[in-house]
Amino acid sequence: MKLLIVEDDRSLSRSIYDYLKLEGHICETSYTFNDAVSKASVNKYDCIILDIGLPDGNGLDLIREMKAQKLTGGILILSAKSSLDDKLVGLKIGADDYLTKPFHFAELSARINSIHRRNNYLGMNEISFNEIRVNTEDNQVYVNDRLLVLTKKEYDLLLFFMANKNRIITKESIVEHLWGDNVILTDSFDFVYTHVKNLRKKIVAAEGRNYIKCIYGFGYKFVDN
Amino acid sequence: MIAGGALLYLTIRKVIYKQIDDSLITEKTIIADQLKHTDTIPDFEATFGHQIEVRLLDNHVRSTQSLKDTDIYDSSSDSFIPFRYLHSTGNTIEKKGFVITIFQTLSEKNELLKDISLYLFFLFFSLLLISILINYLIARKLWSPFYSSVKIAGKFDIQSDKPLVLPSTDIVEFNQLNDVFTTMTRKMRDDYLNLKEFSENASHEIQTPLAVIRAKADLLMQQKNLNKDSINLVKSINEATTKLFKLNQGLLLISKIENQVFHEKKQVSLKKIAESGLENYKEIMHLKKIKVEFEASDEAIVEMNETLSEVLISNLLSNAVRFNFDGGFIKCHIDNKYLIITNSGSPMKVNPEDLFRRFHKVGDNPQSVGLGLSIVKKITESYGMSITYKCKDTIHELKLRYHSRSV
Repeated sequence: MKLLIVEDDRSLSRSIYDYLKLEGHICETSYTFNDAVSKASVNKYDCIILDIGLPDGNGLDLIREMKAQKLTGGILILSAKSSLDDKLVGLKIGADDYLTKPFHFAELSARINSIHRRNNYLGMNEISFNEIRVNTEDNQVYVNDRLLVLTKKEYDLLLFFMANKNRIITKESIVEHLWGDNVILTDSFDFVYTHVKNLRKKIVAAEGRNYIKCIYGFGYKFVDN
Repeated sequence: MIAGGALLYLTIRKVIYKQIDDSLITEKTIIADQLKHTDTIPDFEATFGHQIEVRLLDNHVRSTQSLKDTDIYDSSSDSFIPFRYLHSTGNTIEKKGFVITIFQTLSEKNELLKDISLYLFFLFFSLLLISILINYLIARKLWSPFYSSVKIAGKFDIQSDKPLVLPSTDIVEFNQLNDVFTTMTRKMRDDYLNLKEFSENASHEIQTPLAVIRAKADLLMQQKNLNKDSINLVKSINEATTKLFKLNQGLLLISKIENQVFHEKKQVSLKKIAESGLENYKEIMHLKKIKVEFEASDEAIVEMNETLSEVLISNLLSNAVRFNFDGGFIKCHIDNKYLIITNSGSPMKVNPEDLFRRFHKVGDNPQSVGLGLSIVKKITESYGMSITYKCKDTIHELKLRYHSRSV
C-alpha cells in the first residue's frame, strides 16, 4: 500500500513512518499543509493519514481539496481533538475514519487495512492467512474451508490480529479496539485473555494451527512459525 | 410635623383666647367707665350682646380681675356650652364697689378653631402625601440606574460568552460603581477564559507528545531480543501512558461538558441506552459471575445529548461492575422518574458527596483515575438531573432522578 503521512510533529511522523514501513507499506511524509496538497495531487495514495492541526492550514481543508480534485484514496483523520464536531465534519466531507491521539499502532494498522478493504472491495473482501480465510463482506471465517462460528468480539479480535501480523499487540490496544476507549476496567485484561483463549480453541478445533503467541509482559503476537 | 401641627394649634388657640380676653377686658373697661359716671346700671347686654352681670355693692372693695373658663348649662340644647368669663371688681368714684362678670361663649371660637385645625390637618396630610410621593418618584428615578445595574450584574454568568455591560448614567457615583463592577468582572472573566483556554490547550497539546511516547514504546516493543528488564520498563511506560491518556481524556470531557460542546440535544431513551450498556458489559459480568436484573416500566425519554447519555450510563454501569465482587449482583431499575442501579460490593466508608469529587479514589486500584463519577455528576448537573448515592453494608445504590417526557 502507498501511504502519505501528514503530521507536523516530526518525531511522531517518524515513528508512524517506521512502523508502517515495517508493515511493508510504502510511505511518504508531509509536515505542512501545502506540501501535503501538492503531494496528494501528484501521486496516488491508497490512504492518507491526516493530522487536522497543521501549522499552515486545517487538515479538513485538505479533504475538501482532494474531493474537489476528485482524487481517490482513503483518508484517516488523526487528531489531538477528540471533539465530536470535528469528527462529524471530517466524516461528512469525505474522510473514511477518525483516530484520536494517542493511538496504538496496532489500531492504526487495523484502521488503514479496513479503509483499504472498503475502498477496494472488488476482490479485496477476503483476507487469508495460510488456512484461515476471512470474508469481510459477510463476516464469515473459514478454516480449511470449513466455516468457523465466532462471536462478534472473537471475529473482531481475529481481524485485529490479522491486520497486525508479526507484531506485538498489547492487551490495552485489544481492550480499546474491542470496547472503545470509554471502558476503564481493571479486569478487562482477564477478559482479553478469555477471548483469546476461546478464539485459539476454536481455530485449533477446526484443525487450524495456533498462530496466537503469548508474549511475556506485553500481550500477544499473531505469527506464522 | 405632628409637633408642628400641635404647636400651630396651640398658637392659634392662644391667639383666639387672647383676642377674646382682650375684647372682654375692653368691654369691662367700658362698663367700669360708665359705672363710674352713673349710679344706675345701664343695659349692657343690649349694647354688647353678651351675657353681662353687673352688681353694685355698698362698700368699698379691692379691685381685682380674673379670666376663667367655665361650662354653662344650656337648656335649649340640653348641653354644656364652654364659656370664657371675666370676673372683675372695682370701685366707682363714690367709693362704692361693683362686680362685673362678662361671659362670652367659646363655642363659635371653638368651631373656628376646629375648622382651622381640620383644614390644617388636611393641608399637612396632603403635603405629607405629596412629599412622600415626590420623594418616591425622585428616588426611583435617581436609583433606577443603580437598580438596573444590580439587575444586570445579578444575571452575570462567568461562563457566558458576553462580558458584563452596564448602562452609563448621569450620576457620577453610579458610574464609578459601574466602572468598578465592569473592571472587576472583566478581570474575572479574563482569568476564567485564560484558565479555560489553558486547560483546553494543555489537554490538547498533551495528546501529541503522548502519542509520540506511545508510538516509541510500541516500536521499542516490536524489537527482537528484549530482555526481561527491558520488557518490564516498556510495560511500565505503556501503563503510565495509558493512565495519563485516560486522565487527560476524562478532564477534556469534563471541560467539554462545561463548555457545552455537546449542545445537540435529542430525545433519548435511557432504557435503550441502559440495555445496550448492559449488553456491552455482558461478557465481563459473565466472567465475574455477576447476576444481572433489569426491570423497566418506562422508556425514560429524556432530552439530552446522545453521546453524553451513553457516557453517563456507561460510567454508572462500569462503576457497578468494577466495584462488584465475583458472584455479586447488579440490579437496574427504570421508571418514569428514576434510574436506580443497585449493586453488591465491599462496604465503603465514604461521604456520599465526596464520591462525586474529582480524583476521589476508592481502594488502591492503579487503573482508576477517579474521574468517572465526577463526569457523571457534571452531566447530570448540566441537564438538571440529580444523582444520589446510598450504601448499606455491601449494597450500594446510585439513584438518578430525571424529568422524563412521556410519549
